Amino acid sequence: MSYQILPYRFERFDDEVFMSNEVGEYLYLPSDDFGKFVNHELKPDSDSYNTLKSKQIISDNNTEDVLEMLSIKYRTKKHFLTQFTSLHMIVVSLRCNSNCSYCQVSKKDINDLNFDMDKETAKNVVDKIFESPSPNIKIEFQGGEPLLDFEIIKFIIEKAEWKNIFKKKNLEFVICTNLTLMDEKMLKWLKGHKVYISTSIDGPLELHDKNRPLFNSEHSYEEVVDKINLTRKYLGNDSVSALMTTTSFSLNKFPDIIETYRELGFNSIFLRSLNPYGFAKRDKHFLAYPMEDFLENYKQGLDYIINLNLQGIYFAEDFATILLSRILTPFSTGFVDLQSPAGIAIAGVIYDYDGDVYVSDEGRMLASVGDKKFKIGNVKENSYQEIFNGDYLHSLIEQSVAESLPQCSTCAYLPYCGADPVRNYNEQGDLIGHRPTSEICKKNMGVIKYLLSLLKKNDSNLNRIFWSWIIRKPIEE
Amino acid sequence: MKQLKSNPNNIDETVIGKIVKQTSMFHSKKNCILVTDEAKKQNGYSAIISNKIIDTNVIGVELDELGELNNNDIVTIDADGIINIIHEANSKHNAIFITGRCNSNCIMCPQPPVKEEADRHDLNLKHISLLPKDTISIGITGGEPTLIGNKLFEIIVHIKKSLPKTYINILSNGIRFENIEYARNFAQNINQNTVVDIPLYSDVDTIHNEIVGSKTFNRTIKGIYNLAKFNVKIGIRIVVHKMNYKRLPQLAEYIYFNFPFVYQIAFMQMEPIGNALDNIEKLWIDPIDYNEELENAIKILHYRDLHVSIYNSQLCILSEKMRKFAVKSISEWKNIYVDDCEECILKPDCPGFFASSKDYHSRGIKSIKEIQACV
Repeated sequence: MSYQILPYRFERFDDEVFMSNEVGEYLYLPSDDFGKFVNHELKPDSDSYNTLKSKQIISDNNTEDVLEMLSIKYRTKKHFLTQFTSLHMIVVSLRCNSNCSYCQVSKKDINDLNFDMDKETAKNVVDKIFESPSPNIKIEFQGGEPLLDFEIIKFIIEKAEWKNIFKKKNLEFVICTNLTLMDEKMLKWLKGHKVYISTSIDGPLELHDKNRPLFNSEHSYEEVVDKINLTRKYLGNDSVSALMTTTSFSLNKFPDIIETYRELGFNSIFLRSLNPYGFAKRDKHFLAYPMEDFLENYKQGLDYIINLNLQGIYFAEDFATILLSRILTPFSTGFVDLQSPAGIAIAGVIYDYDGDVYVSDEGRMLASVGDKKFKIGNVKENSYQEIFNGDYLHSLIEQSVAESLPQCSTCAYLPYCGADPVRNYNEQGDLIGHRPTSEICKKNMGVIKYLLSLLKKNDSNLNRIFWSWIIRKPIEE
Repeated sequence: MKQLKSNPNNIDETVIGKIVKQTSMFHSKKNCILVTDEAKKQNGYSAIISNKIIDTNVIGVELDELGELNNNDIVTIDADGIINIIHEANSKHNAIFITGRCNSNCIMCPQPPVKEEADRHDLNLKHISLLPKDTISIGITGGEPTLIGNKLFEIIVHIKKSLPKTYINILSNGIRFENIEYARNFAQNINQNTVVDIPLYSDVDTIHNEIVGSKTFNRTIKGIYNLAKFNVKIGIRIVVHKMNYKRLPQLAEYIYFNFPFVYQIAFMQMEPIGNALDNIEKLWIDPIDYNEELENAIKILHYRDLHVSIYNSQLCILSEKMRKFAVKSISEWKNIYVDDCEECILKPDCPGFFASSKDYHSRGIKSIKEIQACV
């Protein structure tokens, strides 16, 4: 019987061949069988043959039905495209009371009021946000330190809620804050609204203080911890999440960092490498580190977390969770950094304090050091159509489809990855980028392959732990 | 269903009615069949079942074992004296038998399809009217129920009307639903309590097709997708035997990736009767020998947060961790236990055996005396 070969990608993996189809279903084929497979010599009804058929990489009858199934799955995987922009970030002020070593947004002096968003701009931002067709709207307040201008946050939240009486979207708010300025008065007000807090904890006291001192103090850790507890008291236990950033000082300290998160009552952590923007790029000679070092630390951190879970402690690593969801489920994930086409402006967008609109947080980070490459308009000067359906945004997106990027297009791990044109431009000078020397490719590929090697063990406990992260609850044995 | 053979008297066409063992003014006599130890006519009853020789002018049958019948059972009596107990008052596993015909001929079918049969539609409608109002769930089965076409919707609508809270479980091979219009019509006629359970025996078309006896794998899949389009609750059923046990984990992954919307999945131990018995050489594998594949498949689906069960399996042959997935699924009338079961502490929760399967019991059957403390 003859068979037809459907779209697939492959790479040697250990002594076998890893193969994935267009929607990320994968299998390993013994090298011998792979040779036979490509030469159309694979024996029908053999295990390899059947598995290739089950994963829809070969078809020997009713191919149009098989393609129909694949297209249903493809639509599911690309579902994020049907929603359009749901994450709307607003820089309410570029002023900050922190003095982080790696500040990626090049924050401004705490007293320089020129960098606060005015009401006129804020009103225009809210109007634009509610023109988005997405049924889910998440408004994320960024800075600087947004709590330095709490009045404008209140103004925006009230405005948005008022508009939403008619628009009826799933509306929620996130304040990205160092929390040090949070007080009971603010919390009492926030309690009545659907607000979550995203803060930063870089690790144990000493490390956190080294990375994230305040402008007037060497210490911030204890202040942040107090405020986390205060916030939980008012807004609920699940109201606060935290992010960590890895600097060169964090290396070899991942287990301590993880333990800090546990002590603070979090049940997950996002082990994040440094994004080379702003001061992080300027001061990379002492803050940055080779990606290999991060990967080594990441693996140790992940192993440490897996061990916690093996002892019955439910604790997840968020980057692994996102990638595992992309590897193991038929669904799309909402994570804007790993999408193809890239999520720039069509999944997430950011409005700067002056009303300028950028395709992503990183896009405005570049603008803050003078490069407005990723500006797509201004809320006071342009219409929604001009901003979100302009030729310039189209061209940016066209150049950020991983399926058509050199080396990505043939990469076996493409279905799990995405395109990041802003990062490519920042690090390599153009939107397309150069994969063999790309740090982000090195990182994503490194973590994906590590996760695949763990999945390949087919260890029941490990699988149970991974799935408990994906479905976000412990699984009984 | 349970059948009894009786001696008919004046039964011209099939009679249907609810069994009553005592006359009363509180039941509708024309819907009832009176079980009695008298021979004479009882006014108003549609028929009598008596252990005496009954008078020549009376519509009824003579039956010795009256004890087999219980109050509120629903029975049909055919002209040849066959009594079918189509609803057992004491059972949770009652079903409306739509047709004996089928467009599949599964290699392990316990109840091989018939070519021709008398139309059962009106009897079925009456059957539904007679069902107690507090019926928790009712099956719709066959044969292949969709072979009666749009008449199936009349059955469903009738159930919805007379038993609005009852769960409706339809067993279908899904092929008919490849017609999108039929699927749409179906979806418009059912309610939220309705689940369609569809068999999918393998992730590989050739294996599934060999089992069902026709090249219908792709058509069943289309049917599943069409039902999903209209938000119909879909279950997947897998009877496990020698032809498909090896790829159960792959089948589990296939179900999740292609049909993540399914409502429930059940792996079922084969009932060795009918076609299964005729093909037993090809099909028999001691269930304990596919435990590893079954366990892997169950874990795959359970981890993915899908509702998965094991039907018809004796608890003692499953590992302790798997027992919580086992469901008491064998209809009471064909459910037996063996000597080993008498002392077994798991017996109250155990599905036991099919009465028909006595020659094909797992070598792993044993009496469980204690359960190890949880680790």
